[in-house]
This record gives sequence, structure tokens and C-alpha cells, in this order.
Amino acid sequence: MSSTYAHTPVVVARHQENVVVNGEIVRHRRASRLIHWSVAFTFFLSLITGMPIWTPIFRWMAAMVGGLEVARIIHPYAGVLFFLVSVLQFFHWLGDMHFREDEKGWWRPSKLMGYMRYEDDPNVEVGKYNGGQKMFFWAVGLGAVGLLVSGVVMWFPLQFPRIVRELAILLHDITFIFFFVGIVIHIYLGTAAEPGTFRSMVRGTVTRSWARLHHPGWLKDVDKG
Amino acid sequence: MASQTLEIKRSSASMWGTGTGIRTLPTVSKYIDTTTCIGCKACEAACQEWNDLKRVPTSQAGNYQTMPELDADFWNLIKFKEQDTAEGLSWLMRKDQCMHCAEPGCLAACPAPGAIVQYANGIVDVNPEACIGCGYCATGCPFDVPKFHAKSGKMAKCTLCVDRVEVGLEPACIKACPTGCLNFGTKEDMVALGNLRVKQLKEAGFNDAVLYDPPGVGGTSVVTVLKHNNPGWYDLPADPHVPIGVRVWKQILRPVGVIAAFLSIFAVFSHYTKYGPKAVVEPEENVQ
Repeated sequence: MSSTYAHTPVVVARHQENVVVNGEIVRHRRASRLIHWSVAFTFFLSLITGMPIWTPIFRWMAAMVGGLEVARIIHPYAGVLFFLVSVLQFFHWLGDMHFREDEKGWWRPSKLMGYMRYEDDPNVEVGKYNGGQKMFFWAVGLGAVGLLVSGVVMWFPLQFPRIVRELAILLHDITFIFFFVGIVIHIYLGTAAEPGTFRSMVRGTVTRSWARLHHPGWLKDVDKG
Repeated sequence: MASQTLEIKRSSASMWGTGTGIRTLPTVSKYIDTTTCIGCKACEAACQEWNDLKRVPTSQAGNYQTMPELDADFWNLIKFKEQDTAEGLSWLMRKDQCMHCAEPGCLAACPAPGAIVQYANGIVDVNPEACIGCGYCATGCPFDVPKFHAKSGKMAKCTLCVDRVEVGLEPACIKACPTGCLNFGTKEDMVALGNLRVKQLKEAGFNDAVLYDPPGVGGTSVVTVLKHNNPGWYDLPADPHVPIGVRVWKQILRPVGVIAAFLSIFAVFSHYTKYGPKAVVEPEENVQ
């Protein structure tokens, strides 16, 4: 490898994160990004194979995998894969996801509304992840378990008593509805709402000004080295 | 096997059946009189033969019953029960099969469009071409009738011999019955026959006799005369309904979820129109 190429951000971001390279900051190293996209890919595979089974309104999704009967075969395996990579992701990011004292009130509607209106709390210096991101992390972890447990029952319905089957169907539906809404918000925040965020998950890096705006505490830590 | 000639009144995971409803057909029904059943199992054999079902291993549970419950390859089963009653021991026999509910739980629970259909004459049938073998119908059925056929990966159950009925024949089980405890005709006629028989039984001293046609599922296209007004003794649910979980799932959670899904997408667009992106105001320091 040529020496001029060796220290470009994309190369550094293969193995390191939270470092400055040529004025960019590496936010997610390659392993983090691959894990994230594995979760995303298996999630969407589960989604397009599960939603047409949920209601015929989304039957067109089944056409993408070759029909409803194919969707029904793929869905449980995609779901199990989604769970496995979710577990990997959970432990990969767990260390960064403990709530600081000043992040504990994030679930409050007033806090969420303030975030929605871009009214940043001047007393909180956001670190690498804000309270909302941490909340989403824990919700995804919990949701993945809910989907797996209920999904296994629905996969082998005749092995379980009736009441368990009925509860599993309801749990799977409720968890999925929250998941769907959560993912819509997640994608929106990661793309249109916060420009410069998406590239942290593809290229791995962000600009200093992005970091200063969204995660000033993290920027300080990175500069400290 | 799905009928090619009968109009479809209701179809799973579909807004409507495919029939026009112009040509009306009377609802058909089986009639089962448990008081004159002798447990000969001719109906079991006739069902196996007509439907070309594979041999299923029998099991011995200390009574005359062929196997513990219905099977994907065994759609008609006489249930034997030795029941202690106030008048002493009663040896009960009831022919078990799909009840062909007017409001079928299997059809309500089925996610595959057209996999479970209700014909204009009330017969509820599985259409293997559309069945995806998920087994949700088993959860929807209050009588535990549909069974998973491992070899085909589809669900299977009694068709009420729709292939015979549509050409004017009675179902195979009815044809085989030697005592006349089985009968077949319009629902109206079979209910009348059942009421007559119940009256007869009451006159003979069986004051508990009752015609089982559960209103919780809109009535069934199998009406059963019971000597004892205690359906549980015959392995029948006392007041069957489409399970509450299935109703909450299909009638509440599903519409709420679909609306929530679309609303969430609309909401983020709406948010953007009001607040726009949370972007860096100062000039970029690190232009590529």
C-alpha cells in the first residue's frame, strides 16, 4: 500500500474511531458500520417478508422475494439472523450506552418535544451518543428479544398452547409497530433531519462542525486524544 | 380441494369473496345424532377412501377411539367417552370434524389471500394453492380442527366433501352411515330435523337433550344432537367464539398498526417542512 494512501480517513477508519484524520473525525470504525448494516439488512429483509403476512395491504412486498409462500419461508430465518446480529450489535455498543445522570430524563415528553424543536439544553454537553440514541439502543435490544420470543412461537405454532400462541401474535404485532415507527424516525434523523450523519455510517467520518453541533462533549474528548 | 363451480362468499385476507352473490344458494349442513351413533366408524373409512387420505397409525388409549385427535390425513374421527352422569355411566360417541362455522375463526386468522374460503353454501375449505402453511388457522379455530400436513407443508381438514356436494351428492361420511344418525341437507332442514329429534328425546325422558349449533360462531354447518346438555362431555366447547387474541389482532392491532406506520412516515415529512434540517450554521471548516 502506498504511503500517501495509508493515512486517509477511510483507511484509518477501518480499525480506529474517535480520532482526527486530515480534519475529519472517525465516528464509526468499519466493524461498527458493518454490524449496523447487517442489522439494517436483516431488519429490512424481515420487514418485507413479514409485512405482507401481517396484512394484504403490503402484499406487494412479497413480490420482491418471489411471493407470499417464499416470504413465509424466508421470514423466520431472516428474523433469527436479525436477532443474532442485534445481539452482536448490542454488545458491540453496550459500553457507550450507559445513561449519564443528566440523560436519564430523555423519555419525558417535554424533553422529546424540545429535541424535536431543536431546542438543545445548554446545561447538557452531549457526548458521543445523546440520551435519545441510548434510549433507542435499549429499545432495539428489548424489541429484538420480544420479536424473537414471540416469533419462535409463531414459527412453530402447533408446539405451544393456544393462549401462548395468541399472546405471541399480539406481542409480535405490538413490538413490530413500535419498531416500524422507531425505524422511520431513526432513518429520518440519520439522513434528512441531520445532514452529515449518514456519512458517519457509510464512510465512517464526520466533520468537526457536525461534531460540535450534535456531540460537543465527544468532540472535546476526541481533541483531548 | 377448492371448488371450481361454487361462488366464494368470503375469502381469507381479502376484502370480498369472488362471488357476485346474484345466484343464491341455501346453506348446507350435516346432521349428527349422537344418540343413534353406534361407533361403527364407517364414516371414518368412507372419509379416508373418498378423499384418498393416507393411512395414519392408530393408537390405543384404552377405548375404541382410533386416535387421540384429528390429523392432517384423518379428517373424521369418532370420539368415544365413558362419562359418569347422574343416571349412571353414559357411553358417548360423537363424530368430530370441521364444523364449517358461519363465522370461521380459521378464515379470520389466515394471512394468505384466498387460502381459506367460505363458499356460497356455507362450506369452509382450505385452498392448498394459496395456503402458505403458517398454521395461524389452527390458532383461529375454536374447535382445534385444521392440522398441519408436514409432507405438503399445507393445512388440511374436512372439506364437507365439497367436490361431492357441488354435484348434488351427499358427503361420503353421510353416505356410509348405516344407522341414519347422519344426514345431510339444507341448514334449515337439518335444524328442523334436529329440533324434532330433541323433542322426541325429551318426550322419551331425556330432558337435557339439546341441538348443538353454537351461536358464538354464527352457527355451524354441522348440527349435533346431544343427549346431555353438556358439550364438554362430547369434547365440544360450550360457547365457542373466534379467540379474543385473533380478534384483537385482526380488528384492532392491524388497522391501528397500519395507520401508525403511514402516520409515522407522514409525521417525519411534516417535521421537516416545519423545522427543516438541524444543520451547521457556521461555514464548514473541512470542505472536502
